[in-house]
Amino acid sequence: MKRIATACSTNKSTLLAIGEVRAQIGTMNTKMVVFFASSIHEPEAVSRTMRDAFPGALVVGCSTAGEIVTGKMLKESIVAMAFSPEAVEDVALGVVSEVGKGPVAQKIGDVFAGFEKHYGRKMEELDFSKYVGIILIDGLSAAEERVMDKIGDLTNVLFVGGSAGDDLKFARTYVYANGKAYTDAAILLLLKPAVGFDILKTQSFRTTGKKLVATEVVEASREVISFNDKPAALAYAEALGTTVEDAANQFMSHPLGLLAGEEIFVRSPQQVLDGKMVFFCNVLEGMELSILSSTDIVADTRNAIKAKNGRQGSIAGIVNFHCILRTLELEKDNLTEAYGNVFSGVPTVGFSTYGEEYLGHINQTATMLLLR
Amino acid sequence: MPGQIKTMIDKIIAQRSGGNVTLINTTKTKLLLKGIDPDKFVWNSPDDQAIITKLRTLATELRVTL
Repeated sequence: MKRIATACSTNKSTLLAIGEVRAQIGTMNTKMVVFFASSIHEPEAVSRTMRDAFPGALVVGCSTAGEIVTGKMLKESIVAMAFSPEAVEDVALGVVSEVGKGPVAQKIGDVFAGFEKHYGRKMEELDFSKYVGIILIDGLSAAEERVMDKIGDLTNVLFVGGSAGDDLKFARTYVYANGKAYTDAAILLLLKPAVGFDILKTQSFRTTGKKLVATEVVEASREVISFNDKPAALAYAEALGTTVEDAANQFMSHPLGLLAGEEIFVRSPQQVLDGKMVFFCNVLEGMELSILSSTDIVADTRNAIKAKNGRQGSIAGIVNFHCILRTLELEKDNLTEAYGNVFSGVPTVGFSTYGEEYLGHINQTATMLLLR
Repeated sequence: MPGQIKTMIDKIIAQRSGGNVTLINTTKTKLLLKGIDPDKFVWNSPDDQAIITKLRTLATELRVTL
């Protein structure tokens, strides 16, 4: 009896691709399906057809900037993971609409009220070791920090997930739930795994010992005006011993990190703009950030999974929220096959994100839900 | 009297975590992501009113009574 099954298709026809996915999943009692689809697939069609392919199951997903499935990194594909009730005992779904507009507290409160009704317990009382959340959010909404902040206020249950992509077109991203396609929205799932779960956040960086303090920021636009009371790009360039003109060339290998003890929460610079630095996630005024230096993504990820496997039982399935910046780095170094191989031994599904969610909004990580 | 910030941070962490080690760490990280690094403040840290005000706001957000 299958507890977790994965499938993929690179067929350009949405209908045929989903037919192949459905056939590969085969016969199983399916409680939930999580799928990730390239933006080549029309949003309404892919969501509706996936729902129709798995009647009776809760079906959710999002658009991507690349897909991951057991043993492979793919492009222009659909990947899916099906969960039986022996893997996911129970699941509740909520959609937060218009996340990019105005306050989100009430909207998340409404979704959580639905979760409380479903499980018969208050979110603040749920046992964080027995329940886990998944979040899929519009990757162009710039709302991730506000949403994750509010979730963290309301519950100790951890939510992990990713920001939807659109194959680097940066035009529109979608999240999918039960046959519908949403933009400017977040999908929240509250799962009760049947056996157990773990969360793995890994990033391939070490700290350099060089620090920058954000002395002036514009939170709304994710801009840092100044570090250490100097124009941000100048301070960053000086710390790396390079020029402002060369600063952007250093972003991929030298992002900044907020340190929680030894745990790194990466803040990736996006561009230099009139001496300011624009980031892919928020930097708050007064934050002390460490300049990071990149290490080996493939080896680090393999070691991180190995360290988790066997601890509290073997891993039965992985949902991998994998930053597009890591994917680009792997592509540059011709390492996508090697990275895919890291996941050859465990049923895996994932996608290249426009950001990952774990306690907050982060960059350049692989943030994974591991089901036992 | 110095130490007010450390007292407030410890109360927030204690109430949110109930002493659970995992929740102590996640609560500290939540505070860090909200702009307050718990490890930066000790018993003789001066009572910076701006930080005290911010912590009162964060405590309300986190549903903690100070």
